Amino acid sequence: MTGWLGSRLIQSLIVLVVMSAVIHGLMGLMPGDPIDLMIASDPHLNAADAIRLKALYGLDRPWGERYLAWIAQVLRGELGYSRLFAKPVLAIIGPALLNSLILMLSALALSLLIAVPLGIVAALRPGRALDHLINAVSFASVSLPTFWLGLMLMVVFAVLLGWLPAGGMQSLSGEASGLADSLRHMALPVATLTIAGIGQYARHTRAAMLAEAGQDYIRTAKAKGCGPARLVLRHQWRNALLPLITLLGLEFGTLFSGALITETVFGWPGMGKLIADAVMGNDFNLALTALMLATAMTLLGSVLADLLMARLDPRIKLR
Amino acid sequence: MPFLVRSLLTILLLALPLTARAKDDLVIGITQYPASLHPNMDSMMAKTYVMAMALRPLTTFDAKWQLICMLCERLPSFDNGLAKRAPLAAGKSGVALTYTLRADAFWGDGVPVSTDDVLFTWEAGRHPQSGVANAELYQRILNIEVKDAKTFTVHLDRLTFDYNALNDFQLLPAHIERPRFAAAPAEYRNRTAYDQDSTNPGLYNGPYRISAVSLGSHLILEPNPHWRGTKPAFKRVVIRTVENTAALEAQLLSGGVDMIAGELGLPLEQAVALDKRADPRFRVLFKSGLAYEHLDINLSSPIMADKRVRQALLYGLDRQGLSRQLFDGRQPVADSSVNPLDTVHADDTPHYSYDPAKAARLLDEAGWIQTGAVRRNAKGEALSVELMTTAGNRSRELLSQVIQGQWRKLGIDTRLKTEPARVFFGETVTKRRFAHLALFAWISSPESVPRSTLHSSQIPAAANNWTGQNYAGYADARMDALLDAIEIELEAPKRTELWRRLQHLYAEELPALPLFFRADASILPRQLQGLAPTGHQNPSTLWIENWRWQP
Amino acid sequence: MTRDLPALIGATLLAALLAATVLAPWLAADPEAMNLSAIHAAPSVQHWLGTDELGRDVASRLLHGGRVSLAVALTTAVLAAGLGTLIGLLAGYHGGRLDAVLMRLTDGVMALPLLPLLIVLAALDPAKLGIGDEIRDSEIFTIGRMVIIIALVGWTGAARLVRAQALTVKTRDYVRAATALGATPTRIMLRHILPNVASPMVVAATLSVGNIILVESALSFLGLGVQPPTASWGNMLTGAMNVVWSAPAQALWPGLAIFITVLAFNLAGDGLQRALDPRK
Repeated sequence: MTGWLGSRLIQSLIVLVVMSAVIHGLMGLMPGDPIDLMIASDPHLNAADAIRLKALYGLDRPWGERYLAWIAQVLRGELGYSRLFAKPVLAIIGPALLNSLILMLSALALSLLIAVPLGIVAALRPGRALDHLINAVSFASVSLPTFWLGLMLMVVFAVLLGWLPAGGMQSLSGEASGLADSLRHMALPVATLTIAGIGQYARHTRAAMLAEAGQDYIRTAKAKGCGPARLVLRHQWRNALLPLITLLGLEFGTLFSGALITETVFGWPGMGKLIADAVMGNDFNLALTALMLATAMTLLGSVLADLLMARLDPRIKLR
Repeated sequence: MPFLVRSLLTILLLALPLTARAKDDLVIGITQYPASLHPNMDSMMAKTYVMAMALRPLTTFDAKWQLICMLCERLPSFDNGLAKRAPLAAGKSGVALTYTLRADAFWGDGVPVSTDDVLFTWEAGRHPQSGVANAELYQRILNIEVKDAKTFTVHLDRLTFDYNALNDFQLLPAHIERPRFAAAPAEYRNRTAYDQDSTNPGLYNGPYRISAVSLGSHLILEPNPHWRGTKPAFKRVVIRTVENTAALEAQLLSGGVDMIAGELGLPLEQAVALDKRADPRFRVLFKSGLAYEHLDINLSSPIMADKRVRQALLYGLDRQGLSRQLFDGRQPVADSSVNPLDTVHADDTPHYSYDPAKAARLLDEAGWIQTGAVRRNAKGEALSVELMTTAGNRSRELLSQVIQGQWRKLGIDTRLKTEPARVFFGETVTKRRFAHLALFAWISSPESVPRSTLHSSQIPAAANNWTGQNYAGYADARMDALLDAIEIELEAPKRTELWRRLQHLYAEELPALPLFFRADASILPRQLQGLAPTGHQNPSTLWIENWRWQP
Repeated sequence: MTRDLPALIGATLLAALLAATVLAPWLAADPEAMNLSAIHAAPSVQHWLGTDELGRDVASRLLHGGRVSLAVALTTAVLAAGLGTLIGLLAGYHGGRLDAVLMRLTDGVMALPLLPLLIVLAALDPAKLGIGDEIRDSEIFTIGRMVIIIALVGWTGAARLVRAQALTVKTRDYVRAATALGATPTRIMLRHILPNVASPMVVAATLSVGNIILVESALSFLGLGVQPPTASWGNMLTGAMNVVWSAPAQALWPGLAIFITVLAFNLAGDGLQRALDPRK
């Protein structure tokens, strides 16, 4: 068990290093660098400026050298400065991460709270009206583009009804503040992510429940006269949740990488937007740190999910 | 019933003082977040827009496109004796300019703006490792002589007609920035107080100072207590960034933002639609200015090298109709890169009005004969051109599709291609990798000489590290001579004549296909008065102290 | 029979959608024909669903856009599910070192946030990878590139699910019995494990068709999707969002098309799942 954990952690570390090289390389492959962009936007810049600025930001050195320099810097415990924001990388990631976690955790919790019962209920009597209704809701949820959903919610609840703010994290006009105000600002982005998330969780819960319903032990229990409610509550749903745990383990990383589209639409300063800006702006220090954080968390989530699976499912052994 | 009446009365009574009260906060929506705040590091419209409320340049162009003093007392000129010709070695001529800083200019911590700040700004600007993008501005300065705490003389290494404009010379507070710079110049870009201690009032000398920064979301500005000029009307100005323009409009309609800046706001067709709905809460100010929307041409391509083809492409475009149908006639058609509002514009510049018959004749002459749907030349090659533009720019995507449709009628096959801005401007255009045409805009200041876009020495190539903006590869000795002559011609009437010849040459040779002068739409609440969109690089926020709220 | 009614509806919808989009060039007018004097026209006899911001026929664009969106989604879903099943099956059945390597690969790919990665990949310079100009500029290439990009990052979900299922199935008594009777690993995988993993895989694949249409629309939203003038549901929806205040109906049609497509795939997928169920 501890041996398994040790080797998994070492493997994860290797994946992390490989991924950092891949991301660094991909960013380097993207055409155009920020200095070229700077030159394009300022007619006064001349050849000497271009050389000077590229040297200053280390963009004149070959890829391998730059990557190794980054690794060395990280090993010294320095994450460096963001090129775009001219601030230490951690000072930028900290608040953005907090914002993303608030948004993503609320949405995840809400969608599970809604979706898992829906999935279970749907699976109780497959093919009946209620099942169809829940299926239709799930389909609607998985077929709505997030940006469309977000803007529609904004149109209805912020503009037409005027109940909720259309974006941002708090009121900026100084009248309202505090928790209630923050919650009001969270409502629409969280609703967007929740509605978009319900479908997949409900579908997976339902599918897993149905798969379990066919298992021998359930049939045996049924034959022994175990009532359906008791059956679901005692046996079926625990096992049905196993695939869901895998799914959640994988979702763990997205808590740290944010939701680019929802953040863009609602002007929510989270990790999704930050990562996209950093990648597009060739801000290597910032982009790599943020992406490595998300990668590490996903790997961790996957390890946790496997551990949990082994704990809950006696048929699986970790070697 | 009485209860209802009473409640209604209460609500009315509560509402009354609200409507009568003067507005303390102004929330401005823009579409870009100013990543860093140091005024001289790199240029970015969002930063320019925000910092204009907090920092005043030495000189600037105003909303009437006149050069004025902002931080100085008087604009130097040869007439008032504050500018003097200074002979240099090799027969060249420089100029010595004497400026006096305004007596009432103070940093937000009460320290007067002084010549020490001027010296420090110059020192930091010309240091090779300081990270300042536009070092040329500081390298042009041969020497600065300090007369006293407020008066100094700048010696420039050249004498141009716009000699007295120091618009980009943004003073830095030496008392705060010098220690940070002196310790490690190479680290200055990461140590500057503008980014490490952004709310330090001593960094700002304008009517407002930055009081809170929420990265990626918003910035808050509050009045600068040591500002001695006109007292600004708002106790707080909030700049909120919403990148998606549909969401930005939702913010406006739901009261999340009070106004949308024209400088970084809604695309024109969206603003036109908003204007047509005639919402009584808002008014829309359209200002066509110095953003020159055009098609850059790669003259190295054999098709485009033929002047007749270029002219035919322009005759084949109904720009007037396009402007009317897509943009409600808000964007004037361009005849060259010089705006009609510019004093040096020549009204007799040849105009290419929509004339498909003439276009077809020119193409026939150039050897492109219509056989099938697409014209072909003697070698059987199809007249097929590629038009590139930035991905995600809605106005340009629409425009390029209409252009494609109109040229198709002439037998020209146009392939559209879009790229993300960083690729398009960072590589494709700047390294002249576009096949035929690139749709984008140049933004300039009034009477700005188009040397970097038209002079043959400004063609980007590996040899000059891909600098210069003559992406067309346009090399014409006549144009070079005109550009050189305009820059050093100090007499306005003579210069206007040179400008006239430049515009005629431009319209004849078509080194780029002129389309429109872009109109920016500022969307303001009805009560907001005093905002004058400038239509050029210097934003309307430079005069924010004149904005008034009139309920 | 009544149980399979939803599947039947799904299959019918799917067939109708495919037929309508495949036959679009014969059914509908030129989707790129513009009429600038009839912008945002209301539905009429000539234009069933009205016209868009350049006066083009919305119904025609919807059908032609469906061709692109469906082609992208189907190809990608099949590619991704196939790749994912293969990797998941190998990892789940063989276990050990192979499992570890494959699953870490999966973790690695999965850990990358999808959209930034797609942005990077979409912005990559094909010239740097040695692809010539001729191929680079063709429409097929730009759309094909998107298919490959999405499939390359989209297989991980299927792989994880298939592997999880394979792990549980392989410990079941009948698989153990088959192994004891000397069946080859390939046979066990194909005969015993594949049918069992088929149902979660079909669920995942059918859901992914919808997902891919959404990813394409998200890419359009970021300006990196199918490029104009070629219509896709994604870029139509994005375009519609910009005019939501002046022509709200524009956003309805591509949204509805996406919804119906996803619904049809899911209903048909459910039916398929029941048909594949080895326990029936």
